[in-house]
Amino acid sequence: MIIEEEKNKSGQGAASNHRASFVIAVAGNPNAGKSTLINAMAGARLQVGNWPGVTVEKKSAEFEYEGRRIILVDLPGTYSLSPYSQEEVIARDYLVHERPDVIINVVDATNLERNLYFTLQLLELEIPLIVALNMYDEAGQKGFRIDTAKMASMLGCAVVPTVATRREGVDRLIETAVEFAESSNRREMMAVSYGEDIEKAVRSIVEDMKQHGAELVNHGPSRWQALKIIETDEIVLDEMGISADDNFLKQATHHLSKAHGEDLETLLADTRYALAAGLTREALKKPETRKRELTERIDAIVLNRYLGIPIFLFFMWLIFKLTFDIAGPFTEWFDAVISGPLTHWSAAVMTLAGAPDWAISLVTEGVIAGVGAVLIFLPPIFAMMFFITFLEGSGYMARAAFVMDRMMHAIGLHGKSFIPLLLGFGCNVPAVYATRTLENPRDKALTALLIPLMSCGARLPVYLLFVGVFFSAYAGTVLWSLYILGIILAVMVGWIFKKTLFRGEAPVFIMELPPYRMPTMTSLLIHTWEKGKHYLIKAGTFILAITICIWFGLNLPWGVESKRDSYLGHIGQAAAPVFAPLGFGTWEAASSLITGVIAKEIVVSTMGEVYTPKDGDDKEKNAPSVSEELKQIGVSFVGAVGKAVGNVFSTFGIATISMEEEEGTESLKTAIKKNFTPLSAYAFMAFVLLYVPCFIVLVAMRHEFGTWKWAGVTIAYQSVLAWTVSFIIYQGGTLIGIG
Amino acid sequence: MTLADVKPGQSGKIVKIQITGALKRRLMDMGVVAGTVVRVEKVAPLGDPLEVQIKSYQLSLRKAEADKIEVEAVR
Repeated sequence: MIIEEEKNKSGQGAASNHRASFVIAVAGNPNAGKSTLINAMAGARLQVGNWPGVTVEKKSAEFEYEGRRIILVDLPGTYSLSPYSQEEVIARDYLVHERPDVIINVVDATNLERNLYFTLQLLELEIPLIVALNMYDEAGQKGFRIDTAKMASMLGCAVVPTVATRREGVDRLIETAVEFAESSNRREMMAVSYGEDIEKAVRSIVEDMKQHGAELVNHGPSRWQALKIIETDEIVLDEMGISADDNFLKQATHHLSKAHGEDLETLLADTRYALAAGLTREALKKPETRKRELTERIDAIVLNRYLGIPIFLFFMWLIFKLTFDIAGPFTEWFDAVISGPLTHWSAAVMTLAGAPDWAISLVTEGVIAGVGAVLIFLPPIFAMMFFITFLEGSGYMARAAFVMDRMMHAIGLHGKSFIPLLLGFGCNVPAVYATRTLENPRDKALTALLIPLMSCGARLPVYLLFVGVFFSAYAGTVLWSLYILGIILAVMVGWIFKKTLFRGEAPVFIMELPPYRMPTMTSLLIHTWEKGKHYLIKAGTFILAITICIWFGLNLPWGVESKRDSYLGHIGQAAAPVFAPLGFGTWEAASSLITGVIAKEIVVSTMGEVYTPKDGDDKEKNAPSVSEELKQIGVSFVGAVGKAVGNVFSTFGIATISMEEEEGTESLKTAIKKNFTPLSAYAFMAFVLLYVPCFIVLVAMRHEFGTWKWAGVTIAYQSVLAWTVSFIIYQGGTLIGIG
Repeated sequence: MTLADVKPGQSGKIVKIQITGALKRRLMDMGVVAGTVVRVEKVAPLGDPLEVQIKSYQLSLRKAEADKIEVEAVR
């Protein structure tokens, strides 16, 4: 809310020429290069947060400019001031209610007509406006010649050509914005006329509003209000307290509707588009013969009837591989450093300082393990954000949605939902963050709810252990059946949610396919870094706190010999009967499922602890010296970098699920063989696949949606689903005599 | 004839949008206004949605919506 205060302060000195501070809002159509321009203007001063109450990203920056303080606010991309999406509501409300001192309208120079349609609406707000004619170079390459002086005089605002990717024109843009904010000359902004009929109606409504008194006048400039009344814009009417069948309204628009017959909203949209087309004709000279553009040539292949889907699947496979191959070695490195040197250094230091055992355990197994749990997800989140941002910035994301929409639409999802779901097979946590690409809150929530049904990498060790014990003869088939089970259930659950939780909301698919463009490395890195930073701060705090709580659960009452006697162990014992109809009603199985909420692979290590109690001789190994370990951390980091690079190059090699990793010791395998049957083992694996995701996924959902609601829904439906499916498998199997 | 009937590579001139409310508004904001010429570029590999060129940019929409946009043939 700093911004609002600042604005009020600056507002008081509006008459003076040299102002201490003011607010510049940057608005424009999606895909006009707004992000890149903001990055170029603000640089490292850019702050990324959320708009109050919603999870739409808000970018702003504050900086000094020749003794003045400038607050730059980036508004979500919007096609119109009659909002349609959540983002557009934010942009519209900000412009109408907060009234920035200057608007910079980013216009795509290669797509003037549709962009100017929005410019015309911005002009109605009577806020000093500067058009940043962006991608000016690209327009030049197409042979477009734009008469910026003519455009400026016709629109009654300033026009500054920019090339945001190369920072060209950015300084002039800021200079002009400052000039505009300080000059009191705002009269010329009324240059654009909507034709005698409409202007006459506007004038008479303005007169009427004046007679009606102040309460009508305080919601924006009166001409703008009058236009919105003619359009019967529901938001404005609502804000003014006029109902749609008000007499005032009927009288005001009576003449116009009689003359034009059709609804006036259409009349105004047609008028604005006719104006935008006229302006474009006047200011833009296009070459006679049009070249076949790069975008068309790429799309001819990428969206080809037969090649479209294989190409899409290839890109998805590539991104999936690269994300987890690049992240993998770093995740392992974090894991090794934290569970190795960091843990026993802290233990050693605390022992020296005379700390009691419980404190050492709390620090090493609670705090440090918690930090570890946060950090190991950082590499895949960074990698995934990088590729997703690339997909969006390049323009391919819209194509991906175009290609997949038919299929995803069948289960109530949007074409773009495919990508987060696919990433879910690697790790559900970055997948939840990837739902960011979906603009519609409904699509986003539904996609996030289905992500946990995608079997992530952490569930694999559990499958491998059980498959190794019971199904080694047909390991591959059994493994695949679990993945397929998850997918089939996702389709079913998606369909059920579509008919229940999300009933009546069927968002349509009206989407621009922007030209292909190469995103700049700077904007890719800024986005990636911001996302990773947010995860660390926001989600990291939760994850750390929960890890510490779990530590208490496993270690209290203090002095417990076996995990069975800890609080969590007690819960496990109490919960065991619930799992009896599923074929694994033992406290050992129940406890490992409970700790599996930390991360699913922990099911295996908990089973190791509860089935095969340790003799305690594995603790005292020859401890390496500190300097050796320091060296080892460095060496292993270099090794991780090497491995990540190697993985990128070997991506085109043959990918197979690595089965060589032996999960679990022989004694654990014997114990499992004793305690499970093949049928109950399969029911158990299905349960591990389906029951609540690890708590980090839940925290990510909370973080991404700003509410625990969807995490709660996930817990509820998955618990029911897991129990039901395992029940059907175990009882059904027993009935037909497999047990 | 509606936009959904136009074959890829052919164009139509918009006559009327048979949709009401917010959806119509959105279509108009995207440039789908009467008198505008639309060229159908492609049909997605799975048969839906469509890609059209309008106001010199590419727009994609589902056949269900295209079917409610009346057009007349242009050569």
